[in-house]
Amino acid sequence: MKKTLTIAIAAAALFGAAVAANGQRDGIVAGYAAQAGVSSFSADAGRTLFLSQNTGGKEATPSCSTCHTTDPTAAGRTRVGKPIEPMAVSRTPERFTDPDKVEKWFRRNCTSVLGRECTPEEKGNFLTFMISQ
Amino acid sequence: MADTNTTPVWDKFIRTFHWALVLGVSTAAVSGFLLSPTWINLHIWAGTTAAVLLLARLLWGVWGSKNARFAAFVKGPREVMTHVRELKDGKAARHLGHNPLGALMIIALLGTVFLLLLTGVAGLGGVFKAGPLGFAASYNFGTFTLSVHEVLAIFLMVLVVLHIAGAAFEGMRTKENLVKAMVTGNKEKRKNDHDLPEVASRPIWAAVVFGIVLAGFVWGGIWFASKPPFGVPSAPPNATYADECSACHMAYPPSLLPAKNWGTLMSVLDDHFGEDASLGQVATDEITTWLFENASDSVDTKPAHVFSRTNPQSPLAITSTPFWKNTHRNIPDAEFTRPPIYDNGNCAACHSDADSGAFYPANISIPKETSP
Repeated sequence: MKKTLTIAIAAAALFGAAVAANGQRDGIVAGYAAQAGVSSFSADAGRTLFLSQNTGGKEATPSCSTCHTTDPTAAGRTRVGKPIEPMAVSRTPERFTDPDKVEKWFRRNCTSVLGRECTPEEKGNFLTFMISQ
Repeated sequence: MADTNTTPVWDKFIRTFHWALVLGVSTAAVSGFLLSPTWINLHIWAGTTAAVLLLARLLWGVWGSKNARFAAFVKGPREVMTHVRELKDGKAARHLGHNPLGALMIIALLGTVFLLLLTGVAGLGGVFKAGPLGFAASYNFGTFTLSVHEVLAIFLMVLVVLHIAGAAFEGMRTKENLVKAMVTGNKEKRKNDHDLPEVASRPIWAAVVFGIVLAGFVWGGIWFASKPPFGVPSAPPNATYADECSACHMAYPPSLLPAKNWGTLMSVLDDHFGEDASLGQVATDEITTWLFENASDSVDTKPAHVFSRTNPQSPLAITSTPFWKNTHRNIPDAEFTRPPIYDNGNCAACHSDADSGAFYPANISIPKETSP
């Protein structure tokens, strides 16, 4: 009885955390929608951005997939060999829940890969794609 | 040669000591001269063995059998000269134990081993901040004593060659197998042999003193070795540095670069080894301050010293420093890019103590290739 109760509480806590995380992510996406002046984002456009090969950024990082691999559900690796947890929310549920962190990595990685900052629309598309994975 | 005609010369201790020291010195010489520095612990154990043997030999030189006692077999200059003159004239009688020249060699060998032990411990302490002198010896003192250690090591090799040559010469001159005598302990009795007066050895007394002195050395060695190392302040960990920097790579110990270079590195984070790693102003300032306070300028480890000589062409990359390039020159480039290493900036892949900034040679192990 006690064990069942513990499991139930743990499950509820996990569910609660997941709901909270989803709420935080939705908030971040909504913020980008407001900035971009759009009502919805395209996961397909996010995928295209994720897989695109670019020449405008830094030489060592022509694409997101250089480090994150072409499969969002797979673990990536930094250029010095440190593992990166999968980008897909289904694999790493705590992804994209801290707005400052999301902004920091968009700022850095868009500059590294594209040679410019990403637009709010690109960010929203990218997050929508990762949330769908 | 009948057994009844032989006499004991080298007691069991002397013979065991002799061949054990041969093994200890050979191991130390091979690991020191020929093997890579990753064998440093074998070298240290060989030295430690030699130290214990030397202590036992010194005590046996006071309380041992007649041919072991320094006071009896070590002769003054006049007797050495007499022996040399008699050798020239071809009328030198045989010494059952050490002859006056051989006695000088024994003193030279034991003395050189003793100095090797001292300089080795000082070098280990100063350079690697390890062992009983790690708490007191500076890096510069350590590198100096290690140079002396190297000269002494070469000198010992010369002595060993002369010792073997001397034994070969004496063996031919007196027509006896001196190596065999050092195994069996016995020599043929002959007329006109120089022999030393009989004394009773005192093995129990020697063993008790040996035990007490050895226990003192071990206790003292462990006590001193456990003191905080000299010039290695333990940097207070910084959560911001750990979080931000180790997001992509190991948190390099701040003691690996001078403050000046850390300052430059932190000012160009938007082009950080080919990536944008920029941070907000607050985090940048906090990390910069922490790096300055714990930079190599105030640290006395070997990495702090050797990496302070940066490469003017690439002053931010530790892997571009002359020392780094030189010590890694025999490792093919492909080794650095294969899994699980991936990049030469991944120190911890091979240096298990990279996070501490120590980079002790025995802690190097190149991992086998894995699937990516």
